[in-house]
Amino acid sequence: MRPKPLRWQALLGQAALYAVLITGSVVMAFPFYWMLATSLKSPQEAQQAVPVWVPERLKPANWAAAARLGAQGGSMWWGGYRAGRSVVLRIYTGEKGLEPVVTIPTPPAAFSDPRADNTRVETTFKDGRWEIALTNGGQGSFRLLPVRVYIAKSYREFHPELQPDSVSSRGDNWELSWSNLAPGVLGYVFHNFREAWYAAPFGRYFFNSFFTALTQVLGGLFIAAMAAFALARIPFPGKEFVFGLIIATLMIPGEVLLIPNYILLSRLGWLDSYYALIVPWLASVFGIFLLRQFYLSLPQDLFDAARIDGATYWTQLWRIALPLSVPGMVTYGIFTFLGAYNALLWPLIVTNSPEMRTIQLGLQSFIGEAGSDYGGLMAASTLSILPIVLGYFLAQKQFVQGVARSGIK
Amino acid sequence: MGTRLALYLGLSMVAVLVRLLWDLRFAGPTLYALAAVATLAAGLWAIRGKPLPLAWLGLTIGLTGAVAGYGLPWLSLLIPLGVFVGYWGWAKHVSEKDLGAFWGWALVWPAVGLLLVWQVIPAFYALWLSFFDRFNFIGHSRFVGLLNYEILLTRDPLFWKAMGNTFWFVVFTVPIGIGLATLAAILLNEKVRLQGLFRTLYFLPYITALTAAAAVWDWIYNPEFGFLNWLLGTPGFQWLSTPEGIFARMLRPLGINLSGFWAGPSVAFVAVMAMSVWHFLGYQVVVLLAGLQNIPKEYYEAAELDGASWWQKVRFITWPLLSPTTFFLFTLSLIGAFQVFTQVLILTPTGGVLQDTLTITLYLYNKGFRDSNFSYASALAVVVFMVILVLTLVQRRVLERRVTYEA
Repeated sequence: MRPKPLRWQALLGQAALYAVLITGSVVMAFPFYWMLATSLKSPQEAQQAVPVWVPERLKPANWAAAARLGAQGGSMWWGGYRAGRSVVLRIYTGEKGLEPVVTIPTPPAAFSDPRADNTRVETTFKDGRWEIALTNGGQGSFRLLPVRVYIAKSYREFHPELQPDSVSSRGDNWELSWSNLAPGVLGYVFHNFREAWYAAPFGRYFFNSFFTALTQVLGGLFIAAMAAFALARIPFPGKEFVFGLIIATLMIPGEVLLIPNYILLSRLGWLDSYYALIVPWLASVFGIFLLRQFYLSLPQDLFDAARIDGATYWTQLWRIALPLSVPGMVTYGIFTFLGAYNALLWPLIVTNSPEMRTIQLGLQSFIGEAGSDYGGLMAASTLSILPIVLGYFLAQKQFVQGVARSGIK
Repeated sequence: MGTRLALYLGLSMVAVLVRLLWDLRFAGPTLYALAAVATLAAGLWAIRGKPLPLAWLGLTIGLTGAVAGYGLPWLSLLIPLGVFVGYWGWAKHVSEKDLGAFWGWALVWPAVGLLLVWQVIPAFYALWLSFFDRFNFIGHSRFVGLLNYEILLTRDPLFWKAMGNTFWFVVFTVPIGIGLATLAAILLNEKVRLQGLFRTLYFLPYITALTAAAAVWDWIYNPEFGFLNWLLGTPGFQWLSTPEGIFARMLRPLGINLSGFWAGPSVAFVAVMAMSVWHFLGYQVVVLLAGLQNIPKEYYEAAELDGASWWQKVRFITWPLLSPTTFFLFTLSLIGAFQVFTQVLILTPTGGVLQDTLTITLYLYNKGFRDSNFSYASALAVVVFMVILVLTLVQRRVLERRVTYEA
């Protein structure tokens, strides 16, 4: 027997191992953290040269104030500004200096609502704080109450109970602005998510993505299972030809198909429809190969027994082969779903109306439209990856095995 | 009998295909009628001598589909329906072999039909289209032979720019990606605490859509308030719009001036590459981990008895036995890298400053769908097809010999 390596050597090796792994993980995970953190930042925080690690909206100290102001305006959770309600903002100054000036931004400023014009403002000083009461004098309720408060620089210190979304210098004053003064807890934390959701029809995008991806998975599975079963289990004339055709198809790269398939679709009048998103990718060589592999590995005795009992090939496929190839089908399903859900190029080419956009396409056009609103953009990106990431955590094993299986031929 | 059935099914498939082709103005109605008649004739031949009512009904339905489908496309779907009904009326009188022939074709034909219509025929159509002049649906397009290829290969600097860029992309991302993935996979295969967490963290980027991932990286690369500039202390550096070559930039302090192709990919493109490596690493790690777990434990135990060090085990057991997996990944990554598109479109929508991040697929997209020059884009696609084909063949030749397969 060889003597065990010295303890410090083993320790050093372990330390190096962990150091490399942790560094790698940080690099891999950082963009996700940054996406999430930025999706919770106010525009000012998102555009600071020095990165903001924990956005104000993540600090529990602000949540209580957001909940209280939200409850005054409408609801504790989602806020809002109902007709006749008053929202009281407290700014702790300690001393009674110059009275703060309050304005409600008018359109076309960001996050503003013309109905906010009917708001009455009263400012009073008591117990070392300014209380700014905003009353909705109009008939309608609305969602966002944008407010700007100008407070004199002569104050030694001041502290509003809800952290403003941005602070900037305006002559002798500090300009504190809130994009929504009555946010409610969830409305405060998820401000960017809500705004992104209202800015683009993400519901429709999600539906399109899910619909096309699921149809592709189910239809493709059906077609691939039938073909794979025939190729693996049925002797028939022309089998060699079919197999050769499938092998040949493997060599055609996607680019070659973009233009002819686009022309085909346009001649069929299928452009900008679900057909265009689904039909061209229904038959999948990957699926046929994968399932064929599974069917080949099943013992012949099973099928012989079934045949003696009078089962046709169709019955054998449905009753024996399919139930036994569930792992293969899950692999195929995950891959096809991921591919369809994450695709950008094909939807970009074959659709042009907003109603037919998939989530990736919606996000791509949102990137152009959002401009420098990185908070909103990151919120939209987070929304778009959420279903897949949640799916991954629910079915981690299948995801990983599916990918692993794609590498073993 | 089996061959006849195959013929019947094959011809009914042809009828549907021809229906589609007619829609596409590729063939006249005559051809369609011919196909319908051929379907009927083949059907009659197949059930000759067995005039069973249901079989005849099926044939009638099939023929109705073929004829009526001429005016109403969706009625073409009656053809396969007729085939199935015909079968039910007739099935009890046939041999095992005929059953095989029937079911074999009945089960593969949807897949074969779809592959033919959406992959095989289009591939040839792309080739055909590339011989025409400015095909874009409008106006008359002329047959110009190989002119598009001539322009592409000899008079189009953008094509060579895109080729060069794509070449750099492949050369940088594939070996670096697989190298990093191999390292990560070997380390993750050791017994470590929180192994599941580590694996998840490495895998997560892969399942994230490239669009969303690219949006985040766009923000990280932002010259004014991006994270990377803050980290490196290079405020204002334009990661995504610096056209200077990376080699030229690195060697300039040493007094060496490189230009053109030798200047290397632009800084902007290297930024895109870094993002791509990050994104695909998880996939490669998982595939390699699966490969690692297929290596029998006994080899390591034997090596340990002989006193092999960690490095020797990696070098003499893991590396050779992992080579089939690595080879597979290499082929796949090569083809994937050649088709890079989404990252480039999101990070540098116009192809970058001086087109320094223009890749082949982006160029194809620009030519075909922004300039509406479908024939020129088709020529481009055919060239890409050739390049990928040659690459794959060469790689198989060169690498396969060096790959150790398990006995």
